[in-house]
Amino acid sequence: MTALLEARDIVQRYGEVQALSGVSLVVREGEFLSIIGPNGAGKTTLVNVLTGLLRPTGGSVAFRGRDVAGVGPVRLAALGMARSFQLVNVFPGLTVGETLSVPALARLGHAGRPFASLARHTEIADSVAEMAELFGLGDKLKRPARTLPQGDKKLLDVASAFALRPDLILMDEPTSGVSTRDKTSIMDTLVQAAKRLGVKAIVQVEHDMDIVFAYSDRIIALHQGRVLADAVPAALRADAEVVATVLGAPR
Amino acid sequence: MIQVLNLLLGGVFHAAALFLVAAGLQLVFGVQKILNLACGSFYALGAYAGISAVKAALAAGVPAPLFVLVLIVTGLALGVLGPPIERLLRTIYDRDEAFQLLLTFALVLMLEDVIRFVWGAAPAQLGNVYLLYGQVRLEGLRIPVYNFIVIAAGLAIAAGMGLLLTRSRFGGIVRATAENRSMAQALGVDMARISSRVFTLGLVLGTVGGALVIPAGAAVNEMAIELIVEAFAVVVIGGLGSMRGAFVGSLIVGVLKAVAIAVYPEAEMLAVYVIVIAVLLLRPAGLFARVTA
Amino acid sequence: MIGALLLAAAVTAAAAVPLTGREYYATLMLPFFAYSVALLGLNLLFGTTGLLSFGHALFVAVGGYTAAYLGSALRMRSLEAMLVVAAVTAALVAVPVGWLCVRYVRIYFGMLTLAFGMLFYSFLYKFYGLTGGDEGMPVARPTLLGQSFGDLDKTGYLVGPYYYYSLAVCVVAALSMWRIVRSPLGLSLRAIRENADKAEYVGVRVRRYRFYAFVIAAVFGAAGGVLLVVPTGLASPTLAYWTHSGNLVFMLLLGGFSHFFGPVLGAFVFIFLQDQVMSVTEYWRFVFGVVLAAVVIFLPHGLMSLVTRRVDA
Repeated sequence: MTALLEARDIVQRYGEVQALSGVSLVVREGEFLSIIGPNGAGKTTLVNVLTGLLRPTGGSVAFRGRDVAGVGPVRLAALGMARSFQLVNVFPGLTVGETLSVPALARLGHAGRPFASLARHTEIADSVAEMAELFGLGDKLKRPARTLPQGDKKLLDVASAFALRPDLILMDEPTSGVSTRDKTSIMDTLVQAAKRLGVKAIVQVEHDMDIVFAYSDRIIALHQGRVLADAVPAALRADAEVVATVLGAPR
Repeated sequence: MIQVLNLLLGGVFHAAALFLVAAGLQLVFGVQKILNLACGSFYALGAYAGISAVKAALAAGVPAPLFVLVLIVTGLALGVLGPPIERLLRTIYDRDEAFQLLLTFALVLMLEDVIRFVWGAAPAQLGNVYLLYGQVRLEGLRIPVYNFIVIAAGLAIAAGMGLLLTRSRFGGIVRATAENRSMAQALGVDMARISSRVFTLGLVLGTVGGALVIPAGAAVNEMAIELIVEAFAVVVIGGLGSMRGAFVGSLIVGVLKAVAIAVYPEAEMLAVYVIVIAVLLLRPAGLFARVTA
Repeated sequence: MIGALLLAAAVTAAAAVPLTGREYYATLMLPFFAYSVALLGLNLLFGTTGLLSFGHALFVAVGGYTAAYLGSALRMRSLEAMLVVAAVTAALVAVPVGWLCVRYVRIYFGMLTLAFGMLFYSFLYKFYGLTGGDEGMPVARPTLLGQSFGDLDKTGYLVGPYYYYSLAVCVVAALSMWRIVRSPLGLSLRAIRENADKAEYVGVRVRRYRFYAFVIAAVFGAAGGVLLVVPTGLASPTLAYWTHSGNLVFMLLLGGFSHFFGPVLGAFVFIFLQDQVMSVTEYWRFVFGVVLAAVVIFLPHGLMSLVTRRVDA
């Protein structure tokens, strides 16, 4: 399996504070990887570095062999990586259909065309319909995003990242703010959508251990800016140190 | 050499007035996060009211040398306008900045005609009353003592503001609110009262500034809208929300203008705008950046 | 469908005004057409993209002075030439100015645009050798599609062929802007307005598209500026003053910036209201200040919001 994303010896320093001290990881095609760790472990910093938002103080990040340190969100999207956030981020005044059209247009390189007609752009309409269907928003295309219930907003938010049809998607706590009852259905939706859209790898930062263990191929445990463990779920559960620092009491 | 000194003094004199207006602007921005386009209008109001007050006082037999006090008192008295205007602005505190800017623009329009209504369209001035304090003679140049008085007043007020903000309880509350509004509220600060007081203080700084400066010049209808651009320049250069910035910024703008007028009159305000644009490009937060929540 | 019919009715009504013989109202419609064009541009920046410019009058002035310069200094009297050259000049000015300004948002964008507007005003005012200073630059009567209409006196020209030409330019401007707003760029701009950070994350080039909006707005502003100066025959520095920019924003708010035709309605109400108020009192600014305050506080989405639900700008 080819390595999609490779991070080597990432060091991130904020003045006196060392948020990351030599983190390395590899994400391969077909993998579902979870990054776990207590608060302050450096997960968000790591994700920011991996997604080109933050140029690391030391080390390298490469996507498909290309250096992506600090490239920024637009370039990242063009290269084939997308990201969703923990806090729900929508376009309040745009409808579901419009929200999903934006990344679709960006993907096609049409987002900046001033004289093309949006209404007659069939390729976009098809793409939007498909995305909406995959995420269960098919009947809500004309509703403004701000009127959606929280769960749907979350789905829409993640769907807009998926709409870029990335090779790798990085999700920051995709089920946060969602009731326990809905978490599995959302995760199933996400995994299904990824499969249908040809997303080659998924990385998530997640706190809910049930979700982590249910969906991950591999888990990376971070602690105080270092990789504590990088293993398959079963091996991780057996690792006493990981259990103590990250997982808490064994289930 | 003496010409340079004269030039600088003129610049500093103008800077004193600018500082007062800019300080008012900064104060209001810091606490209420509103950029008050009407600050120039308060300045104009102070100028016109000051002229009327001094003329009335002189006619009533008040000894002429006390005219400075009359000006200052007039400026302070105009503070009664603070609470009602603030009450008006309060209706849109939580709205988008654009609306806040436009409401202050509405104030500019209203105050412009209020001034026109009360004082007419012709320029108003106090004649030579400011020469009462005499002039300093330096190698052929005559500099009115009044200019030094205004500069001293400006410095005194700057120092007073500094003390107020750093040493007094009120000042502490103001700085806390500017730093983190929600936190201050959570700690029990009465937002309505603070907003009203801060706004009034800002208004009074403007009116006193206008009143103090006017004896050396003339009050014209356009002075409000002309001043706002300079005040903006000061605030941009110094940094939004910073008092120190207002002080340094007004010095820079005042002196720059004076130099430009002497060297290349066409470039008078142009030089200022170029500096504003340069600062916005190179150090957008201004020289004394503030990080506020 | 109803919208299209109403529009056709409005255009027909506008076309009918000169025929009613009420010349005074016809002459008032001329600045209305001019401001409509300028405001359609400004609303692309504000209503669609969420950037409040306090310096749009800069481009209106660019348009006005270009028309003046072409007509008097270069003796090019064709209105077509004036419009084209003004548009190009505005675009050329907007490129560096826009490039600088779109790096900033909100208050800083407003202040920067105000500074540039006043910079231009200073230039127009002080360099009187070039620009005529505070006396301004005269604007020669332009030929329309090659016709000089020399037999018509000033009023005859203005409420006759020039009126219909202005109306046509206004309609063309509206159609073009409609197309732009309904295009992929328009959607991207709205996404930027709604949530600029998220827009970046879904691949939208935020700074670049804001820049496009700025340049397009400038072009519309200049076209409006050309139309504005022909009736008065004079381009003066006050065109660029910040309060003129303020009035432009006032008109946007009055009409409603969330609706495509809000700016047009705003221009119409502003001009006719100003005319009515001015005939009653010289303190029209006070009245308008009150109107603006009322709109901001009670009717933030303008008069359009009274009439219809949002048709996104």
